[in-house]
Amino acid sequence: MKRVVTTQLPRPRTLIHPGRFNPVRIQSLRSSKGRHVRLALLPGVSLFDGLVKPLAEMGITSASTTILGGYFEGVQYCVAPPDQQGQAVIAYSKPVPAGRTYMIFGNATLGTSMNGSPLVHCHAAIRTESGEVKGGHILTDTCIVSRDPVPVLVTSLDEFELRQAYDPETNIALLQPYKETTNG
Amino acid sequence: MGEMIAVENGSMGRVAYARIAPNEDLVQGVEKLCLAEGFRNAFVRGALGSLVDACMGTIDGKYLQIQGPAVEIVSLAGEVRQGDDGSLRAALTGVVADPEGNVYGGPFVAGLNPICMTFEVTLEEWLPAK
Repeated sequence: MKRVVTTQLPRPRTLIHPGRFNPVRIQSLRSSKGRHVRLALLPGVSLFDGLVKPLAEMGITSASTTILGGYFEGVQYCVAPPDQQGQAVIAYSKPVPAGRTYMIFGNATLGTSMNGSPLVHCHAAIRTESGEVKGGHILTDTCIVSRDPVPVLVTSLDEFELRQAYDPETNIALLQPYKETTNG
Repeated sequence: MGEMIAVENGSMGRVAYARIAPNEDLVQGVEKLCLAEGFRNAFVRGALGSLVDACMGTIDGKYLQIQGPAVEIVSLAGEVRQGDDGSLRAALTGVVADPEGNVYGGPFVAGLNPICMTFEVTLEEWLPAK
């Protein structure tokens, strides 16, 4: 079964992860006010640089963004099949080249990686060069904005920050919210 | 707020971000995030992550099941509303990709979309005018 339509209520599956169960299931923080920025990703820059640089200049290092559609060159994406090595429940696949691509809708989270550099985690629905509609984890540094600017709505995460940290339960590094903030 | 309201004036309030852990339900997880942060009405401002399997509703009351793991959430929109009885209800719609990158879309069925590795979500509080 890959895809099935049923009248019977499906039973959700509970998977076992390699690490110890963390009793905290929702790690959340809030800021008292939303701050928004409308950004244009400029032609010729990567999705990564187009997001990270202008926001860094404004003092924003943690944000949730919506990519409002646009053309990109050299798009590569990963899908998430089971981890053959058994280190985690799933592992990202090798990058799949999609060529000149229309990004239909994307969400990208900006945070800080474990080595202190900016990190962008992006998932998107895309129409690939061959015309197929696909979806997955986008490699934002190879993804170059095509001829026209791509609009992005940014919700800045103030009063806390997102940092990549090792998660023992899933045995992978994940973005998590922390109280300290560098957003100016 | 149970009656049919065509237009509701209001303003945006606080912003909350959460990482929701594996095996928690997507829809009820968003409701519980509202409980954690004291939101009564909210809009999704951004979300991404993965599901073990996905389950979406159809117009004739059936269930569209997409088998993972993992099924990636590649687009998500929605809101949380407080009902007349005071309870919170999230209505989430979106597009998911299966382990081969094939995409499917629809409304996520509450209780039937367990998170696989992580789910990152940003909510913005909605404050209806009195």
